[in-house]
Amino acid sequence: MSLLYNSDIHLGSSLSVIEILAVVILKFKRDEPYEDKDWLILSKGHAAPALYAILAEKGVISIDELWKIQDISSILQGHPEVFIPGVDMSTGSLGQGLSFGVGIAKGIKMSQGDGRVYVIMGDGEQDEGQVWEAATHAVSMELNNLISIIDVNGYQLDGTTEEIKPKHYLPKVWEDIGWNVLYCDGHDISSISYAISSSINSRKPTIIFAKTVRGKGLPSIENTKKQRVISNDAEE
Amino acid sequence: MQKSKAFSSMRETFGRKISELGDEYKNLLVVTADVGESTKAIYFKEKFPNRYFNVGISEQHLIDFAAGLATTGKLPVVTGFAMFLMRAWEQIRNTICRMNLNVKIVATHSGYSDNNDGSSHQSLEDIALMRVLPRMKIIVPADSLEVKRSLPVILNEPGPIYYRIGRDYSPPITQGILNHFKVGEATILKDGSDITIIGAGIVLWDAIKSAKRLEQMNISAAVINMSTIKPIDEKAIESYARKTGRVITVEEHNVLGGLGSAVSEVIVKKYPVPMKMIGANDFGRSARSQRELLDYYKINDKSIINASLELLRLRY
Repeated sequence: MSLLYNSDIHLGSSLSVIEILAVVILKFKRDEPYEDKDWLILSKGHAAPALYAILAEKGVISIDELWKIQDISSILQGHPEVFIPGVDMSTGSLGQGLSFGVGIAKGIKMSQGDGRVYVIMGDGEQDEGQVWEAATHAVSMELNNLISIIDVNGYQLDGTTEEIKPKHYLPKVWEDIGWNVLYCDGHDISSISYAISSSINSRKPTIIFAKTVRGKGLPSIENTKKQRVISNDAEE
Repeated sequence: MQKSKAFSSMRETFGRKISELGDEYKNLLVVTADVGESTKAIYFKEKFPNRYFNVGISEQHLIDFAAGLATTGKLPVVTGFAMFLMRAWEQIRNTICRMNLNVKIVATHSGYSDNNDGSSHQSLEDIALMRVLPRMKIIVPADSLEVKRSLPVILNEPGPIYYRIGRDYSPPITQGILNHFKVGEATILKDGSDITIIGAGIVLWDAIKSAKRLEQMNISAAVINMSTIKPIDEKAIESYARKTGRVITVEEHNVLGGLGSAVSEVIVKKYPVPMKMIGANDFGRSARSQRELLDYYKINDKSIINASLELLRLRY
């Protein structure tokens, strides 16, 4: 519990995306054979604690290690690094995961592989111009093995996504570019699973808008900009 | 010299050679951001249309797309104007270098070589930006012949490489002198005992010219081709600093952070001797030829001779 108020982790963003990561990693992601494996890119790398928690649940890293996140003795960095077991891309700088995923998806297709590429982005991350460089390229190469999920928690660092730069038009833009646009409840396992399953036979790359709540499960930070739980709220 | 037919340009040689290497390296891909005609990557496209990608005018995506391809075991060669690839410095740092990916970045139109377009297109800062990146290696071939020799070598060298070439002007520097290329190994274009001139790229033409002129003045100047700027050949620098006691660097790049800085870092650690650095100090400008710009900014044989004479007058 001390982790919740002592560490400088992005708790709100981790709690909004954790069910999405759980479904992708524990239910859909295939790790073998290597040439047909699926890839998971956490482009919103600041949600690393959620990724590590799910990788621990999967048994790839130890649960004890989770409590050492960001400690100088720990392998678990503030943002994902490929030297951490189970991590497919070093991230942390927003806007780069989709381009990397486009490269992997194309590489798989060129080798006639069967792997799928999951790229998880934030809604604030949609401000990055590079996302759109990648989005249009994915369509031109017909990468239907690429599935991107946007964690729509409604917040970015300095405020709500609507007040910083309106985002309500995003689904239409993705659709107009040529993506298969789907929606789900990002905290409902069956809703997330259904959306991902529906994407598998698409002829286009798929983007899933997963509606979430920032800080879900911790009332003192839920649906706020707050990242940390203060000690008085530790009972949560 | 600018339009000489005897020696093709480095970009032309790159385009032809990479197309040839495509037969041998089946996983070799060429990726560019809408400058395939300019970088001559177009020759590879003509031969291997399915292994060539134009991602559109999007350099940041270009770098991360190549990083993804490399992750699946492909060998992507990224081509673009040196200046505009710097727009993706952060992608090069945070994805390619952090993950130590096997991506080769061939940066064309470096230095003043995009003479007509002016300062927006000229790249005089790229070596400095690449040098500070952990795991990145930097190669600056002297001429088209060295492009031919070094391209197959860098394809076999694991990890990220920044490979810097110019547009058209490519005087014959290594012809008849060199026949091998090794990453991290400097080569001696001319031996000497009074002063050492270290250069990289086309400026070595002026270095050789100045060494010949100095010879007539009874000054024996060595000329070293430092075609690998990182990892730099510390042994060669130290041994020539000991042998000649004076070092001049010449580069088509800002004097801050480039070859001169790299050489001086070795000199101060291994064997301090007086040095002079010749290179750019500001942004460039438009001109009818690259040669004109090199002379205008005094990155030429006259400057090397003057610097040599000044160093020889020094007592220490």
